[in-house]
Amino acid sequence: MARAITPRQKWTFTLVAWGIGLLIFFPILWTILTSFKTEAQAIADPPVFFAFDWTTENYTTVQERSNYFHHFMNSVIIALGSTLIGLAIAIPAAWSMAFQPARRTKDILMWMLSTKMLPPVGVLVPIYLIFRDVGLLDTRIGLVIVMTLINLPIIIWMLFTYFREIPVDILEAARMDGATLREEIIYILTPMAVPGIASTLLLNVILAWNEAFWTINLTADDAAPLTAFIASYSSPEGLFYAKLSAASTMAIAPILIIGWFSQKQLVRGLTFGAVK
Amino acid sequence: MGRIVLKKVTKSFGETNVIPPLDLEIEDGEFVVFVGPSGCGKSTLLRLIAGLEDVTSGNIEIDGTDATAAPPAKRRLAMVFQSYALYPHMTVRKNIAFPMKMAGMPEDEQKRRIDSAAKALNLTDYLDRRPGQLSGGQRQRVAIGRAIVREPAAFLFDEPLSNLDAALRVGMRLEISELHERLATTMIYVTHDQVEAMTMADKIVVLRAGHIEQVGSPLTLYREPRNLFVAGFIGSPKMNLIEGNAAAQHGAHAIGIRPEHIEVSDQSGEWQGTVMVSEHLGSDTFFHVQDTGLAETMTVRASGEVGFKHGDTIFMTPRADQLHRFGKDGLRLP
Amino acid sequence: MATQHSRAAARLMISPAVILLLAWMLIPLGLTIYFSVLRYNLLMPGDNPFVGLENYEFFFTDPAFTGAVWNTVMLVVGVLIITVVGGTMLALLLNQPMFGQGIVRILVIAPFFVMPTVSALVWKNMFMNPVNGLFAHLAKGLGFEAFDFLSTVPLLSIILIVSWQWLPFATLILLTAFQSLDSEQLEAAEMDGATGVARFWYIMLPHLARAITVVILIQTIFLLSIFAEILVTTSGGPGTASTNLTYLIYAQSLLQFDVGLGSAGGVFAIILANIVAIFLMRMIGKNLDL
Repeated sequence: MARAITPRQKWTFTLVAWGIGLLIFFPILWTILTSFKTEAQAIADPPVFFAFDWTTENYTTVQERSNYFHHFMNSVIIALGSTLIGLAIAIPAAWSMAFQPARRTKDILMWMLSTKMLPPVGVLVPIYLIFRDVGLLDTRIGLVIVMTLINLPIIIWMLFTYFREIPVDILEAARMDGATLREEIIYILTPMAVPGIASTLLLNVILAWNEAFWTINLTADDAAPLTAFIASYSSPEGLFYAKLSAASTMAIAPILIIGWFSQKQLVRGLTFGAVK
Repeated sequence: MGRIVLKKVTKSFGETNVIPPLDLEIEDGEFVVFVGPSGCGKSTLLRLIAGLEDVTSGNIEIDGTDATAAPPAKRRLAMVFQSYALYPHMTVRKNIAFPMKMAGMPEDEQKRRIDSAAKALNLTDYLDRRPGQLSGGQRQRVAIGRAIVREPAAFLFDEPLSNLDAALRVGMRLEISELHERLATTMIYVTHDQVEAMTMADKIVVLRAGHIEQVGSPLTLYREPRNLFVAGFIGSPKMNLIEGNAAAQHGAHAIGIRPEHIEVSDQSGEWQGTVMVSEHLGSDTFFHVQDTGLAETMTVRASGEVGFKHGDTIFMTPRADQLHRFGKDGLRLP
Repeated sequence: MATQHSRAAARLMISPAVILLLAWMLIPLGLTIYFSVLRYNLLMPGDNPFVGLENYEFFFTDPAFTGAVWNTVMLVVGVLIITVVGGTMLALLLNQPMFGQGIVRILVIAPFFVMPTVSALVWKNMFMNPVNGLFAHLAKGLGFEAFDFLSTVPLLSIILIVSWQWLPFATLILLTAFQSLDSEQLEAAEMDGATGVARFWYIMLPHLARAITVVILIQTIFLLSIFAEILVTTSGGPGTASTNLTYLIYAQSLLQFDVGLGSAGGVFAIILANIVAIFLMRMIGKNLDL
């Protein structure tokens, strides 16, 4: 409503919202802070907030003890690899559904989406056995394949909604202006679709990075990405909060940054266009 | 250079037949307007000529060569879309240059044409902006600029003014007419607005449900509408159509009389009624008359000086030489 | 624009995606159904005889089954209530004018980007641990006994952790829905004498109904499959106190190596998810006009 609001109201909203926002964010903030403490300070009672001896020792320890970087790279390869392969398969499919819709297009789209709704545990056993028999268990390739397949419907669907927003008029104008199909795709469609493709890429990197069912169940150690690697911290008890925090901070930092960039596109991607 | 002939052209979408067999000849340099209510197939017809839709059967000839199967790019036609369809990621200059770039025209020739088009269309100061930063009227001009630099055989306009506000629309209407005078290139213009059709066209094609109802100059359509549909569609305010006794007196099933062809008086006349609403435009006054026993409401156009108020009794006399008579089949009687 | 040639090209371009997804769906699905009627345990080599519906019988009569169904329902419903109610209020708040709105928004969304294993471990150790967790420190500071969340109320603790992860999702979507509300509608209601509460109830909430339904359906699909959070915090325990269906099936097939039994559970999970999916698909389909 375009009406002047009193400064007092605005300050009240500001205070309440910031209070709640910080409360929700607190576990992440606390994790980041703890990652710079010594183990003793990490569990100190009363807790210390900022007045501690800042150290980066935990980060080096985590890397040295458990070859953290290896698992980090697994995450990068699996998330990025599955997204790029998925895009390569999805772009032509989404293009043809958006610009050459046929009678069945809607059915195909809905069916693709329905595969995403298959509960993973329902197909865990056969996938596990197949992977065991063909030697894909605990391999990066195996996980890239699974991630590609489980996120393919979302990639296609997101691209489809972006492509459909490109007015057909503009493509027809290009055709009238003498562009061939190839020129139409290079000069008109691609430049207009780049933002959509980019946000699809970002959202899928996020989803693949955080996927924690298949990554845990199909890896042991060698191909374990960060989700599975961090899960291994659940067994040993004792003084390890600072190291756990350091490992966690490194695992979530890249995605927090990507996520903040793509928050506007998030809604569309996660609701399959049902909410805009 | 721009003679377009349609021979027995039909178009169906699945089971639905949108254009029944249709024949039409458009002469070189003519300004032809396709007009009709929404859903009459006028835009489809334009897209068939453009090559954006395949014809189901029949032939389209452009300058004597059969272009039925030619892709849009090969037809040497330029189109201005209702949405303007500018390329949002390109500057105005690049938008205008695009068709020439596709044709592989030398850079200096491209530049010369862009500059002259920009000058003619008042776009010189905006060449480095993007479409998003332009007003509706400016976008319209860019779309036209993109069309003229190609020097096409014919221009196709698909309701180009419908996204503009009323004042701009009148201005652009004049600009397009001037453009036609200057270039003398064939133009095919689609609109649902009969005022645009009347003011711009050399030849109007009135369409209904894919059928051509009448083809002719604006004045022919105004003076001798071929049937009731054209009579009702062309002219503003609409022609009064009267059935029953009053029509039978003139030996017709229905008669039509335009509001401007009725004389009014407060004393006597052929017909009598009560004024419900009077609209004063200054130069003219429109009276909406009821209780005439002829039609539900009769519209009369009088000069601005004539004053009747709500509830006044009004007498009306149609000018006998301007009376249109229609038969039971809706067709004009001689 | 659709010509014969371009239609053939379109079909060609769509086929890799269709073939892959078809294989991904049919092969595992067929195998799951097939395994579910065999006596098939990886620890007992030999042939795997056909046993009909025996596995289903075992699965449904397993003492853990009823508990798992109940836990699954509690988990889904609990998280839904917290996230939808909390998300609506939070979205309403974030839609008000304030300083630093963008930053608050980022703070609120952040938990969604935290991977499940990290959030589960952080909550389990640094907050809910009865000795060293922040909650324990807080309780002691206020003079109370420290509370052992994960052993005393394991399911509730998991519900809280999962709610923290999904609250941002609900908030974000509902905020988007709020922002698409036509402000003239609210102004018209104000002219008609509607109070703030009445405007929320009669104008905003009906406008949100669709978004709320979408949130519920999508979250349900994901919440039915909650796994990592349970594995990391309680491993389904103590006993089976926090075992949901997903975890139960995982335990039967990958911990006890009973492929047949796990597959029977898998078939049940698929049917359950499909019931929700049908409603969700219908909503999405309505919005998709081709």
